[in-house]
Amino acid sequence: MTARQITIALSGNPNSGKTTIFNNLTGLRQHVGNYPGVTVEKKSGIVEYKEFKINVVDLPGTYSLTAYSMEEIVARNFVINEKPDVVIDVVDSSNLERNLYLATQLIELEVPLILAFNMTDIVKKSGKKIDIDLLSELLGVSIIEMVGSKGLGSKELLEAVIMVVKSKKEKKVEVKYGEEVENEIVRIISVLKKQKIPTFNFDTRWIAVKLLEQDKEIIDTIKKASGPKYSKIDETIRSSVNHITSILRDPPEVIIADARYGFIKGALLEAYKETGLAELDRSEKIDRILTNRIMGIPIFAFVIWLMFQFVFTLGKYPANWLGLGFEKLSALVTNIVPQGLVRSLLVDGIIGGVGGVITFTPNIILLFFAIAVLEDSGYMARAAFVMDRIMHKIGLHGKSFIPLVIGFGCTVPAYMGSRILENKKDRLVTMHINTFMSCGARLPVYILFAGAFFPAVAGNVIFSIYLIGVIMAVIMAKVLRATRFRGESDPFVMELPAYRLPTLKGILIHTWERAWLYVKKAGTIILAISILMWILFTFPMIGNNYTQDYAGQIEETERLYQSGEITGQEYDIGIATVEAEMAGERLAYSAAGRIGRFLEPVFKPLGFDWKMVVATISGIAAKEVIVSTMGTLYSIQETDRQPDSLKTALYNHYTPLVGYNFMLFTLLYFPCLAAMAIFRKEAGTKEMLFQMGYTLLLAWVVSFLVFQIGRIFIK
Amino acid sequence: MRRWGLQFRGRKANREHYRAEDIFSMAEAAPGKKYKIARIDSGCRLNSRLCAMGFIPGEVFYVSGASRGGPLCVMVKGTKFAIGRGMAEKIQIREI
Repeated sequence: MTARQITIALSGNPNSGKTTIFNNLTGLRQHVGNYPGVTVEKKSGIVEYKEFKINVVDLPGTYSLTAYSMEEIVARNFVINEKPDVVIDVVDSSNLERNLYLATQLIELEVPLILAFNMTDIVKKSGKKIDIDLLSELLGVSIIEMVGSKGLGSKELLEAVIMVVKSKKEKKVEVKYGEEVENEIVRIISVLKKQKIPTFNFDTRWIAVKLLEQDKEIIDTIKKASGPKYSKIDETIRSSVNHITSILRDPPEVIIADARYGFIKGALLEAYKETGLAELDRSEKIDRILTNRIMGIPIFAFVIWLMFQFVFTLGKYPANWLGLGFEKLSALVTNIVPQGLVRSLLVDGIIGGVGGVITFTPNIILLFFAIAVLEDSGYMARAAFVMDRIMHKIGLHGKSFIPLVIGFGCTVPAYMGSRILENKKDRLVTMHINTFMSCGARLPVYILFAGAFFPAVAGNVIFSIYLIGVIMAVIMAKVLRATRFRGESDPFVMELPAYRLPTLKGILIHTWERAWLYVKKAGTIILAISILMWILFTFPMIGNNYTQDYAGQIEETERLYQSGEITGQEYDIGIATVEAEMAGERLAYSAAGRIGRFLEPVFKPLGFDWKMVVATISGIAAKEVIVSTMGTLYSIQETDRQPDSLKTALYNHYTPLVGYNFMLFTLLYFPCLAAMAIFRKEAGTKEMLFQMGYTLLLAWVVSFLVFQIGRIFIK
Repeated sequence: MRRWGLQFRGRKANREHYRAEDIFSMAEAAPGKKYKIARIDSGCRLNSRLCAMGFIPGEVFYVSGASRGGPLCVMVKGTKFAIGRGMAEKIQIREI
């Protein structure tokens, strides 16, 4: 017997415990993707129960099914167009009046509905009682009691799903909106029918209600479907809206919402004792401290510091083990594969490139773990509340602060962490300025250059670079807000959910799916980019076009050693020196070297020579590579790659002004390609190109000004 | 049948007449006090949104916190919300 396939959709308010119930139902058999055309995350999973194979789709958490946000439209369209066999609305039973608002809208849609009353343990503990049977009868839907955090009720829920699927359609309860509105609904329905407007999958009464609510999505759909006949409908709607507003003194959308609450209140009056406003509870007491006017910000700073320590200090160890593992792998491949192009590609290109990115994984996992804890416990919303005033001044959202701080560690998780911002403009501005939070990979570059040119005050010089980065971020946030991302951003209204102890299962699933996305996506793109960079730095090959007779020099060194004129140590140094010079020439001969020379005129006004340009290009792969590229270009031999000899070389070739300027340029131009790949994934190709373009331009302009103005004062 | 329990109620209770001078915006609300929502006047899109969150004329809410120039912390229908100043200015309230 083959399993019968059915689809159920999970809907519910934010913080109603919907995700927990989804996890309980599907376990790890989940699939994360996006709804077509939008960046709203789509999660689905499979559960087998009796003879059914049930596809569970987790809809975005919403308060209602209006067309206010992308999430709401996605949830509504899924219910209407995909026609799931059953819709389950997860309801926080300790807050029925609010949560049943969404349920009422689902009842209006006349979908096969089950209400999952979650967190019934909290209700019982508070001594209240819900008459489930009565409420179920009053609302015309079946209700299942659950405690998601303890995994109770999943079986009963699945049983109810099967009952609904097997049973025929039962008579539904209709929500009434009061005489005035009902009259107008009848009027609109008759006009729609008379004009023979196609209503697609929608119920006509439902459309009439939505038109009265002036729901933009539905109005647009009807407008498109009715063509020239729309003017007649538009006229009717206008007159109805005016009529209602003049009689009832509030616009229809408010009256209709009020009627829904009336419907809920009517039912709850019978089946539940309402206590009105909640008393000062535990959450309120915690909030007195955490969102305190004076203590709020210091506490937030401490939490962020703790998170930073957790992610980067603790993450350092597994990251180092992974790094060591890749080193061992390189050594292994070096031993197995004979010298030549294949080995170079494997070791320098693929293992070096992909390995460098994979070593970030522990940090990413810890970061998402920390974020999941902050989100699930309810603190994240408070953090946004506390920081909103300051961040608002530079045109950002309170939550922006979190990815920005993460950016000091690594820009890759910072971009991914920007997901906590629901508003697209907030998210994009936050991502676009995140690169100025100087990441850990840039530090080796600063250490090298500050050490070479300002050994006495290196610490202060490096600090000044970090400070300039922060100032740049503030300036650019303001500029971007005033130009590309102008316009009304969504007003700040955000739920501060009750504090809850997060469940380990929930956090682990959260962490896992995000971290896996990083490994999978970044891994594949990075592989391609690593190979590309390797090609740039390897081809065309120099062949026999060295400027000096290196082969002769090596022979000469060997001869001297054989005849005992030099010691073994001197021999090693001699060979290494020659090889380093050869490597330098090979690099100069390669495409990257040529691009460097080609671009030199562009960078001349900044005081850079072609070697600095090549180093900058290599920094695109990863910023710390700049140091090793500089080493190769200045022929610092492998055995003696002490930073000091490179520092001396740099000091002899450039002025301190140019050195400082190079640090500035490194700070300002876009972060590594791994970060750009993630940027593209999160925000699209256009935004990624904008990010690359404007940071390059900014880096050039700032460095140009610093060099040209500095030249006047410093000789 | 208990169908009568589902009859539309609520609207009538909210139909009160407010004198204009009694009404002020939520941005002026003092922490630690309860108020009643008189009316909301933003666009219809935002009206629907606020209604769905429980900000509906006649509803009593409690201001649990506010910082100067920053968002307000407001409890309505058993859930706490942070509301930006700009948003709060669009919600008209009155003393109970």
